[in-house]
Amino acid sequence: MARLLTLMLNGRKRVDAVADNLLLLDYLRESLRLTGTKTGCDGGECGACTVLVDDRPRLSCLTLAASCEGRRVETVEGLAEGGRLAPVQQGFHEKLGAQCGYCTPGLIMASEGLLRRSGDPSETEIREALASNICRCTGYVKIIEAVQHAARLRAGGETR
Amino acid sequence: MSEGAVHTIGQYVPMVDGPEKVSGRAKYTADFIEPGTLAGRIFRSPHAHAEILEVDVSAAAALPGVVAIVTGADCDKTFGVLPVARTEHPLARERVRYCGEPVAAVAAVDDATAAQALKLITLKVRELPAYVTASEAMAPGAVALHDHRPGNIERDVFFELGDVAEGLAEADLVREKSYHCAEVCQNQMEMHAAVAEYDPVRERMTVHASTQVPYYVHLMLSQTLDMEMSRIRVVKPHVGGGFGSRTETLNVELIAALLARKAGGGRVRLVVNREETFITHRGRPETEIRLKIGLRKDGRITAVECECHQRGGAHSGYGIVTILYAGSMLYAIYDLKRVKYIGKRVLTNTPPCGAFRGHGTVDVRFAFEALLDEMAQSLGLDPFAVRRANALTAPTFTDNDLMVNSYGLPQCLDWVERESGWQARKGRLPKGKGLGMACSHYISGASKPVNWTGEPHATVKLKLDFDGSIVVLTGAAEIGQGSSTILVQSVGEVLGLDLTRIRIVTGDSEVVPKDNGSYSSRVTFMVGNAAIDAAQNLKTLLVAAAARKLDCRPEDIECLGEIYRAGAQDRGVSFEAVVTEALKDTGTITVTGNFSTIPASHGGKKYRGAAIGGTMGYSYSAQVVEVSVDEETGVVTVDQVWVAHDCGKALNRLTVEGQVQGSVWMGMGQAMSEETGYHGGLLLTGNMLDYRVPTIQDSPPIAVGIVESNDPYGPFGAKEAGEGSLAAFLPALTNAIAEATGLRFTDLPVTPDRVFAALEKRQRDKSAAPGKAA
Amino acid sequence: MEALPEFELLRPRTLAEAVDARAADPAARLLGGGTDLVVNIRRGIEAPGRLIDLTGVAELMTIKADAQALELGASVSLADLAANEAVRAHYPALAEAAASIAGPTHREMGTVGGNLCLDTRCIYYNQSDWWRAANHNCLKTTGQMCHVAPKSRGVCFATFSGDLAPALLVLGAEIELVGPAGARLLPLGELYIGHARHDGSGGDGKRYLSLRPGEIVTRVRVRAAPGLRSAYDKIRIRRSIEYPVAGVAAALKREGGVLADLRLAFTGTNPRPVLLAGTEKLCGGALDDRVFAGLDALVRDQVMAMKTTFTPGHYRRRVAGVLAKRLVTRLFAAG
Repeated sequence: MARLLTLMLNGRKRVDAVADNLLLLDYLRESLRLTGTKTGCDGGECGACTVLVDDRPRLSCLTLAASCEGRRVETVEGLAEGGRLAPVQQGFHEKLGAQCGYCTPGLIMASEGLLRRSGDPSETEIREALASNICRCTGYVKIIEAVQHAARLRAGGETR
Repeated sequence: MSEGAVHTIGQYVPMVDGPEKVSGRAKYTADFIEPGTLAGRIFRSPHAHAEILEVDVSAAAALPGVVAIVTGADCDKTFGVLPVARTEHPLARERVRYCGEPVAAVAAVDDATAAQALKLITLKVRELPAYVTASEAMAPGAVALHDHRPGNIERDVFFELGDVAEGLAEADLVREKSYHCAEVCQNQMEMHAAVAEYDPVRERMTVHASTQVPYYVHLMLSQTLDMEMSRIRVVKPHVGGGFGSRTETLNVELIAALLARKAGGGRVRLVVNREETFITHRGRPETEIRLKIGLRKDGRITAVECECHQRGGAHSGYGIVTILYAGSMLYAIYDLKRVKYIGKRVLTNTPPCGAFRGHGTVDVRFAFEALLDEMAQSLGLDPFAVRRANALTAPTFTDNDLMVNSYGLPQCLDWVERESGWQARKGRLPKGKGLGMACSHYISGASKPVNWTGEPHATVKLKLDFDGSIVVLTGAAEIGQGSSTILVQSVGEVLGLDLTRIRIVTGDSEVVPKDNGSYSSRVTFMVGNAAIDAAQNLKTLLVAAAARKLDCRPEDIECLGEIYRAGAQDRGVSFEAVVTEALKDTGTITVTGNFSTIPASHGGKKYRGAAIGGTMGYSYSAQVVEVSVDEETGVVTVDQVWVAHDCGKALNRLTVEGQVQGSVWMGMGQAMSEETGYHGGLLLTGNMLDYRVPTIQDSPPIAVGIVESNDPYGPFGAKEAGEGSLAAFLPALTNAIAEATGLRFTDLPVTPDRVFAALEKRQRDKSAAPGKAA
Repeated sequence: MEALPEFELLRPRTLAEAVDARAADPAARLLGGGTDLVVNIRRGIEAPGRLIDLTGVAELMTIKADAQALELGASVSLADLAANEAVRAHYPALAEAAASIAGPTHREMGTVGGNLCLDTRCIYYNQSDWWRAANHNCLKTTGQMCHVAPKSRGVCFATFSGDLAPALLVLGAEIELVGPAGARLLPLGELYIGHARHDGSGGDGKRYLSLRPGEIVTRVRVRAAPGLRSAYDKIRIRRSIEYPVAGVAAALKREGGVLADLRLAFTGTNPRPVLLAGTEKLCGGALDDRVFAGLDALVRDQVMAMKTTFTPGHYRRRVAGVLAKRLVTRLFAAG
């Protein structure tokens, strides 16, 4: 079974033919070559595939593309404006929130989801919001610092 | 023109490849998606140990869309990291030796077809007895997994340096205890992947692989494909972590290449899933340790006797080296005089183990530091004082001939003792809380690489051209540890240039010089030294050109990075002008820098394998861990970690902190929640729910103290920073739990059920004791 | 990439459409957040020909909660449930249970209906296709044997691990089911028919829900009991992502110094969520050692925890008792 899927992807409207059994993850990666979104496990265990759907984090590895009809889907590729890193990306870069970088897109999207809800999150809020994402490199210490840094960059970002 | 030379060494420098990683532009092997690429899949053995009678792929081959199928019949060559122990075929022949061993592989037009084809392959076998534990495999009468290894012993190691019996007799306290560490996996976030492209016209193979050592992949492709190395190109894109799982060449990249060639050309993309990544394994073996230490009242260790059995899995892999490290690295952290070591590496019907971060040293270090802590307590000694009483004095050679040139362990001890408030708090914490400490160390690259051809240990090339940019060409594999950043910084530091002038190209055998790879923490030390050498060679050329331009002697030239001048009063000439001058003679400039370890660091010959452990620089780490234990549920919480790491010199404080935190935390995973389990020979824990990598909610603050002992041979004085702090976490944790509960855990990981069982047992013993007495 | 088996996805907008779709194909599977079902499809455990996505049915996405009553739609997300102020104020066990499920992103996706109908879990079942085949499959799929209890004579011991069920059980929830024959209301406990040794009612465990062909879980209803205090707690090896090693919901009433009502329910241990039977015998007096000894005996009798998880069953069972005692002590002392 297949259908036409209409959605907003990274701010742009798209219409694509998709099979009913196509995962959002594979739609993004394999069909659209948006390979920033990563696969890290066999389903729902690592968070590397996290994207935002209507501003809320979602595991694209367990989401059917066809279920995203009419929704706003955002991936890591959609954050930077005019080639300039978004605050959350800059935070991860400058504070070494990314080492190997593989879990990074998922953590960045989960962090972006948090920062849109809560402009100045506490450490507890950060830990709660990122607890679906596994990172194998950092021990998370610098990820927490990265999100705090990103929150400050966002706060001052308008004048940048 | 007052700007001076740019210096970044010793500062907080974000990674040079960070922008790609945070923007999603960084390409990992599985991200190379092109139309027309075939999808690869592996058919794996459901048997732990069996003789192969028939692999029938005819039905699969007949399936429309299937382009190529390979089996053991397609490759009779073996591969393996150690030239003396290459027992593995890319696809099993004659026998399968573990559940999940590749038997056949399919390349098809798409993934669904490949998956369907696997279901049509049949395997007929005669089952053989399977051994999941080392003791079963070593039992008399056990069938040998490999004919040349009767008794299933991959390697027996024995040495006794000094008279251990005499040492034990001198001790005020002798204690012997057994320890057990479960098998653990690297479980790096990127699952294994390879993309192989075969060009039948030129008979050339290109393989993109998620590897730590592209050079080994190159060697093993040549060996298993029976192709000249000159026809092979290996590309290492961004790699999503390794931690040792990708030091050895894996069957994944070899199978992808076999498929591409069998398909008659074109591309095959083989991305294995998480379960298969677990099965491909190369993790840290399950280890049984029997340890005996003699300790004097003054804190001096008089003798050590250690027996270590490792369940190595079905193939040798790195096994011989792992069992040797476990013994040799008893040394080089404390001043030990009488040491006996008995090591057994055992072949079993489980996935092959390998070189997990802290290779060979971690489990023995756990046992050693745990027993030492317990004995110190029994003698009423302060555990910090015991470590200090046994400190080395650098430079020195250990009894097993390891060369120690710098030794910052005392400063590490001072830092964690002070920062944790140890003296004021130890023994005075509320019930259920505890502080524990321990130490560990690691090498900065093996002084003798396993495939040594006599070349320098590291080679870096620099290219400087008309555009004034410098390109660093290196085979050193950036796998997330930050090696590219360190190399760019090193070149920039010598030339005084801003890092934006310097680009780095890594991981494409077509372009970059060969490198021995990213393992055993060798890159900063060895490739860093080679990068400095290359930059100095380039600087010599630039200084000569500047001297010509300024009409003075080269020795009068002062290099300020963007300005070269003849003395402080000179306005000087710009870097661009110097480059233009320098290019006049030769055009594009390329320079080479090399590094070789000195023979004195190559380890000894006092026993077979004594070279293992030899390095130019040992890192040191001390750690204090604070825990809370819920005695009703057995749940242990790590509240805080303080770690001090002697990395010689922090070339980049940001990445040193990140590496140290990451290794402490990985030690925490092994100590608290990670373990594999098998059902028969089937891996029960081949997913990330049952193999429990700590989440952010389980992970404590980790305060890092950087100790700089300025190693005389290290690049700018640096030593390794990415492995040495892992091991100390394990004993520091159990030592802390000992204060919190009075119980000393010898079996890792210390999961809540194990703590609960131990507390329950103590309760039972207490209740039973009065009855016995009566 | 993971090629899922072919299926047709239906996205009904109304409950009536959903019921019709379900009635037309009782083998169709209902899709909530996908955190359970899609994982199982990816592992080849299930290969339904049709999925009915209920997350677009607006009628099923409402929370009505106040001090008197609670009504929850089946498609309410766990995150929305956990964040609902009225639920937190009046039905704390439920809010705490919802907030503790898996991890934050899973809770954005997972739904009330999905968590209540969570497939039972077992370490010999929640494995890949290849793995299960290599292990000769099991009773819950196509095999002949339960690997947890080889002499189980046809009984499957896979464990129920949903967190909402125990919380709703101690709150006395009812569940609304809508099918081709219309709607019916059941006490929540009657939804679960997984094997239960202690009351002799146990089924084979392979079927764990009493849903009739074509039925859909649509709503959960709770009538608040005045003075009932409730809470939820669980143990996991890690504090996020994974399923409970053991989870306990408790609710009690205190009248002066007297324990007037006591309810406890467990998850992560048995093939069904267990509402502890016999707790009424512990009421009527002070909260003393007699109560705790009685509670301990009931837990030992009814909470069984077989070897269905990597963590030993003995621990799960014992720690469930510890959590129960803690919750009861805390709730009795509170306010």
